[in-house]
Amino acid sequence: MSDSPPASDGRHGVPWPQFAKDLSDPAKAHDKPEALDDLRVLDVSSGNFAALFTSSILAEFGAEVIRVEPPTGDVARLYSPEGVTHRGTGLAYLVEARNKRHVTLNLHTEQGRLLLVRLARHVDVLIESELPGQMDAWGIGYRQLSVLNPGLIYLAVSTHGQFGPRAAQVMPDYDITDQALSGVPYVTGEPEGEGPAESSAPTKQGNWIGWYVGGGFGALSVLAALHWRVVSGRGQFLDLTPSEAEMRFSDAGVIWYHAAQRIQERVGGLHIQVFPYTLIKTKDSYSFVAGFSDINFTGLTNIMGRPDLKERFATTKDRILKARELHQELERWSADLTAEDILHRFQDYMVHKRGPGTVATARLNRPEEVLAEPHWWERGVLQKVDDPDYGELLLQAPPWKMSRTPPRIKWACRPVGADNEHIYLKLLGLGKGDLQALRTAGVI
Amino acid sequence: MAEREAQEYFQWTAALFDRARVFDKPEALRGIRVLELTTLVLGPTTADFLGELGAEVIKVELPPGGDTMRYVTPEATYWKNASLGFYPENHSKCHVGIDLHAEDGKALFRQLASRSDILVENFRAGTLDTWGIGYRQMQQGNPRLIYVADSGFGQWGPFSQGRASYDAVAQTVSGTIAITGFTGRPPILCGIFIGDWFGGLMAATAALVALHHRDRTGEGQLIDFAQSEGLIRTLDWTWVRLGLTGRDRGPAGNRDEALVPAEIFPCRDGYVAVAAARDAEFTGLCQAMGEPALASDPRFATLPARQKPEHMNPLLDTIRAWAGTLARAEIEAAGARHGFAATRVATARDKHDDAHLRARGSVWQYEDPLYGEMVEQGPAVKLSETPARIKWAAKPVGWHNHDVLMRLLGLSPSHIKDLEERKVVGQWADRNGARPPADWSGGPRI
Repeated sequence: MSDSPPASDGRHGVPWPQFAKDLSDPAKAHDKPEALDDLRVLDVSSGNFAALFTSSILAEFGAEVIRVEPPTGDVARLYSPEGVTHRGTGLAYLVEARNKRHVTLNLHTEQGRLLLVRLARHVDVLIESELPGQMDAWGIGYRQLSVLNPGLIYLAVSTHGQFGPRAAQVMPDYDITDQALSGVPYVTGEPEGEGPAESSAPTKQGNWIGWYVGGGFGALSVLAALHWRVVSGRGQFLDLTPSEAEMRFSDAGVIWYHAAQRIQERVGGLHIQVFPYTLIKTKDSYSFVAGFSDINFTGLTNIMGRPDLKERFATTKDRILKARELHQELERWSADLTAEDILHRFQDYMVHKRGPGTVATARLNRPEEVLAEPHWWERGVLQKVDDPDYGELLLQAPPWKMSRTPPRIKWACRPVGADNEHIYLKLLGLGKGDLQALRTAGVI
Repeated sequence: MAEREAQEYFQWTAALFDRARVFDKPEALRGIRVLELTTLVLGPTTADFLGELGAEVIKVELPPGGDTMRYVTPEATYWKNASLGFYPENHSKCHVGIDLHAEDGKALFRQLASRSDILVENFRAGTLDTWGIGYRQMQQGNPRLIYVADSGFGQWGPFSQGRASYDAVAQTVSGTIAITGFTGRPPILCGIFIGDWFGGLMAATAALVALHHRDRTGEGQLIDFAQSEGLIRTLDWTWVRLGLTGRDRGPAGNRDEALVPAEIFPCRDGYVAVAAARDAEFTGLCQAMGEPALASDPRFATLPARQKPEHMNPLLDTIRAWAGTLARAEIEAAGARHGFAATRVATARDKHDDAHLRARGSVWQYEDPLYGEMVEQGPAVKLSETPARIKWAAKPVGWHNHDVLMRLLGLSPSHIKDLEERKVVGQWADRNGARPPADWSGGPRI
C-alpha cells in the first residue's frame, strides 16, 4: 500500500484539499491498519478521567485495553450531570469507555491482587490512579510487577505525584483540584469588582480540562516509553499529575514572575499578550475577533472602515494597555452586525485579498450550534455510534486524521464485567467453573 | 498503609525520580530529529513536547523577524531583549534562519527534511504544498517522514480554506467558551492559550503513534491535526447528553455539575477548590466542617443523591459558608487530615515559590548560557528511566545557523557565507524579540 501515487498518474495535479482528504478521510479508517494493535493495556484506574482518557487514546489507535473495575463497577460510572444514567451508566463514562474490554476484579481481596499479578505478566502498559504508595503496599506496584515483567510501562496518576514533599499527603485526584493547582483558573475570568462578587473570581473551565490534559500527557509519555522499550527492551515507571500537566500550559506565568516579579491577573474577555484578540457583542450573539500584530490590525481597521484607529492604537503595546478603550470601539462597530455579517466581511477581505493582514473571527457557538455546522460532520469529528449494548450514542471522535494508521471508534462501552469470560479465559485459562468460584468469593 | 512501609516507598521513589540524576539517564527519543517550521504556540508546542523527551528539534524561522511569538509577550514587555511568551514553547531547539521564498532556501529545507524523522508545520492548509515543500514533495524524498500538519480547521473540509484561526477561535467554535463562566455575564476567554497547548499535546501524541508504526513497518505518514477538533474532544459529556436528551449545555460557574460536591470557593485569603465525590471522602469533609450528621442525611449520603440539584445547592452553600471563615492552608490541611481533595487556586508566585514543584522539576530552574538564571514551568510527566528535561532556553533568530548547516548538511563556512550574502540564510533583526541581550558580546553560540 502506498501513500503516494507515482508522478505519472496525474494526481499531482489534484488540489491539495482533495489530495489530503483522499489520504486521511476517517470514513475510510476501518480499511486501514492500526498502529498500536501489538499493545495490551490494563487500566485499573478508579474514578479518574485523566487515566480513562489515556486509555481511550491508546484504544482508539488499536491497543487492546482491558478496564478492570470492582465488582460493583467503577465509581466513574456514577459521574454525571444531575446523576443522569443511560442503561445504568453515567453520561461521562459512556464517552471514555470506547473500544475497551471490561472485566471485574476486587483489589481489596488477596485473591484479587494475585490475579492482577498474573494479568500484569501479559500486558505492556498498566494504568492506575490509587493514592501514591497504595498499589505498592498491596504488593502490586511497579516495584513488584516489574520484577515479573521488566518490559512493563507503569503509569501512575495522582494529584501531587509519587515523590516530593507533598507526595505522601492524602489527596484524591479530581479535575477541579487539578485545575486549581495548575493556576489556570487564577488567570481566567473577570477581575474583582467587574461584576457580582460570585463571578468576579478565578474561574474554572466548564469541562474537565485538567483531566483531559493529564490524560493526553499520559498517552504521550506511554508512547515515548514504548519507543524507548523498542530501543532498549526496558519498561519504566511514569509519574503523572494532571495538575502539573495543565500547569505546563500556563504560558509565560512562571517566567514572568521570575523575570519581573509580576503575577498574571484576570482580564475577562481581554488579553494581556495580544489585542485585539477578544470577544465582542454582536446584534445576535458574541463573536471572537483577532488582528493584533501591526499588519493584522491594519486589516481589521480596514474591514471596520476605521483607519483612524490605526493612529490611536499605533503599537502592540498601545493596543494591550488601552484594550478596554479599543474593545469599546470594536463593540460600537459590531452592535449592528450579526456574527454571520462579521464572518462574511472577514472572509471577503481574506479570500479576495482586499488588503494587507490576516484577520480571524468566529461566532460564539453553543454546543447545539456546533452540531449544526456541516464542517465537523464532513470531517468525522462527531460521530453517531451504534453500540450493541448502549444503542446510538453521539460521541466526539478521535481528533486526528492520519493517512496510514487512523484512529477509530469500534464500540462505545460495555457493561460491568461483560468481558470476564473472554479475557480471563484468553489470558489466564480460567473456565466458567473457575469464574463462578471467584464470583462467589467476591473476587470478580 | 503502615507508616513505616509508606516511608520506605517514598524513599524509594525519591531516589528513582531524583531531579539531580536526570542528566545521568538516557532520553526516550534520542536520535529522533524533528524539523519544525511553525509559529505562535500550536506548532512550537508540538515540537517542544517531543524535544523535552529527547528529540533533536531544528526550528526553522524566516529571517530576520522569525516566529511571530517573538513579539507576543505579557503587556508587550521584553526581558533581556526577548519575549517572555516565546520561552515556554521553545526549549533546547536549534534555531535556523532560512528564507523559504528563495529557491535555494527551499532546497536547504528539503535537504533538512530528508534527514529528519518528523516534520511539523502550521501554515494554512496547502501553503507548503504550493511552495513545493509540503507532504506530497517531502515524502517522495523521505518515505519514512512523519509529517504533522497543525492547523485551525484541518487540511480539508469547508472551513479549511481561506479561514484563519488562533487558539481563541478554537475555543469559540468548539463550544468551550459557551460552557465556561457564569450565566448572565459576558463570555470569557481561557486565561492561557489552551487550544494551542492542548493541540500541541495531541499532535505530538499522534507523531509518537506514527513513530511506533514506523518502528514496526518503516512507513511514514501524514497527520492532519486541527486544534478546534482537539478542544471538541475534551468536552466530556456535552455531546453524549445532547445526543440522548437534546439538552444543551451552558455555563455552570465554578461548580462541577457531574461530581458533588466539587467547587471553587472564596476563603479568607484567596480561593480553594474542594472535591469529595466518593462517600468516604464526603464523610471526611462533613467531619472537617463539624457537621458529621450530613454524611448520613439521605439527601447527601450517596453520590446519586448529592447530584440532584435540589440537594446539591444547599450542600454547596453549607461548604461555601464553612470555607469562607478559613485560610487556604487551613482548608488544605483539613483535606489531608480527613481524606478529601482540597487545594488553593495557585497564583504564579505560588507555583514559582513551591518547594514541592521545584523538587519535582515541574518548576524547572537552570542556568542558560545566554540568559543566565531561568525559572520556568518544567516537563509535566516524570519518566523513571528516560526523564524529560530542559537543556537551554530559546535563542535569537538564526542562532544555530552554522552549527546546523555544517553538522547536518556539511556546508563549508564559505558556502554559508555565500548563502548569507544572498539572504537565503539569515539571522536576527535588530529589534526586541529577535535579537540577543544587550550585554551579549559575541562569542560561542551554545
